[in-house]
Amino acid sequence: MSYIELKNVSYRYPLAEADALKNINYAFEEGKLYGIIGENGGGKTTFCDLIKGLIPSFYGGDLTGEVFIKGKEIREWESSALASTIGYIFQNPFTQISGIKETVFEEIALGLENLGVEREEIIDRVINVVKQLKIEHLVKNNPNKLSGGQRQRVAFASIIAMETDILVIDEPTSQLDPKGTSDIFEIIHLLKEQGKTILLVEHKIDLIAEYADEVLVIKQGELITNGKTSDVFSDVNLLNEGVNIPQIALLSNDMKEQGKPFDTFAITRSQAREQILKKGSEKICH
Amino acid sequence: MMDETFINSYRSPQLSKNWLLNLNPLNKINIYIALGLITLFFQHWQVNVVITLVFILLAVAAGCFKSFIGPFLKLGLVIGPFFFIVRAIFWPGENMIFNYGIINITQEGIDLGIQYATIMLVVCGILVLCTVTIKAEDLTYSLEKIGVPHNVSFMILSSLQLIIDLKDKTKVIMDSQRSRGIETEGNVFVRIKAFVPVLSPLFLGAISGAEEKTIAMDARAFSSANPNTHLRFLRPTPALEKILVILVDILILGLIILGVVL
Repeated sequence: MSYIELKNVSYRYPLAEADALKNINYAFEEGKLYGIIGENGGGKTTFCDLIKGLIPSFYGGDLTGEVFIKGKEIREWESSALASTIGYIFQNPFTQISGIKETVFEEIALGLENLGVEREEIIDRVINVVKQLKIEHLVKNNPNKLSGGQRQRVAFASIIAMETDILVIDEPTSQLDPKGTSDIFEIIHLLKEQGKTILLVEHKIDLIAEYADEVLVIKQGELITNGKTSDVFSDVNLLNEGVNIPQIALLSNDMKEQGKPFDTFAITRSQAREQILKKGSEKICH
Repeated sequence: MMDETFINSYRSPQLSKNWLLNLNPLNKINIYIALGLITLFFQHWQVNVVITLVFILLAVAAGCFKSFIGPFLKLGLVIGPFFFIVRAIFWPGENMIFNYGIINITQEGIDLGIQYATIMLVVCGILVLCTVTIKAEDLTYSLEKIGVPHNVSFMILSSLQLIIDLKDKTKVIMDSQRSRGIETEGNVFVRIKAFVPVLSPLFLGAISGAEEKTIAMDARAFSSANPNTHLRFLRPTPALEKILVILVDILILGLIILGVVL
């Protein structure tokens, strides 16, 4: 059974003249990391809001079609049950901090307090997540005084502590520096290893190529292509759709056009390195 | 390696070494307001000054004198003189001291001005003492324990935080304006001229931030129907503390009755 399934889903915001999402059909499987890419304003965040249950309950508007989360239609989910099933992290690190807690430890515990988890379990879960994300040095700090990167890590910790099966992550690194970005992707990698189902919206296409199992390309509210990450990025025509292609995929394509293709189409640096080393050793042997 | 003492601090009630700080927040508010009420029934500025001194002594007893006195003086020295001036120069009376146009200084006006100014000192004392001796989170915990809904306590806490956030954002916007060469320092007119354009980005930013914060809180199961738990908690109010508060209330009630009778 699919973990999340969309059937003929269209959505229009209140007062809008056009649909923000158009007839989307897709089934997400458990334990995979899905990269969602496309132009700005194409509907990626709307797509995330839909999966998170914010559409139509929070934003209003017209939703047609069906969205199933773990086999249950999204309109039938209670808000709190959905919050303990789907975690949501978005781009602005400054608005994801509650602002009402005095320490990072208490901030991470907030979601668990709301779920009614007992104190000892809260403490255990927060300690675990703090260790996992290597933010022990931050626990005593005031969350309102942290940098953007630190706040984003605390936002991740707060959601991970709630132990949701599904994570919707919307451009988590758009406001972060390279170090902050690298820290966040380390966390995403960890979550993937833990078997979480992750929907990740991200413009840093090389990182999507590195981590995503499958990619969905959304343009003007439509799902224009999807499939295995290597298959999607091997189609350089995507550039015409306003979608970036990883530099390594462009290199692979250039090699192909020069009549010297890699044995398998590389989309990440490690894949390309492997291919180049292989070709180099073959040349030496001959 | 995490600090075990810090972690263990969540396993026991939040207590400090100071008896006054350890009082239940609602009991502290009860005592401060009860003291403040005396001013309404004794129409003597000397009583107001004594109560103000009591607040200063309470701040000393709580070990918060330094954090109390600065804001208290800043607030008191603005509001107190303002009320004095308004009453002193406009209040009609028989014992005229000075008269010019609409300015009408009378002995009665000066007496009333002193009375109002010292009442304002008492009000400032209550407000500042509350802020330095009560942690907002402890207050909302106590409120929730007496049945105030969780979302109301969140509103109180986030409103208090909003003031700090807006102040910080104002500073950021002013700094960015200064970096673009806009004059933000100088006399009152220059400052007002620089401050007005700050208002729209400040409040529009706050409105858009509010929507995102709502979503962030939704992601933290804020709307959960389950009864919420608390990581930080306070001790149950000791019997001695209850007796103390009742005695203070009775004493103040007695003083008020005395004031009314006299």
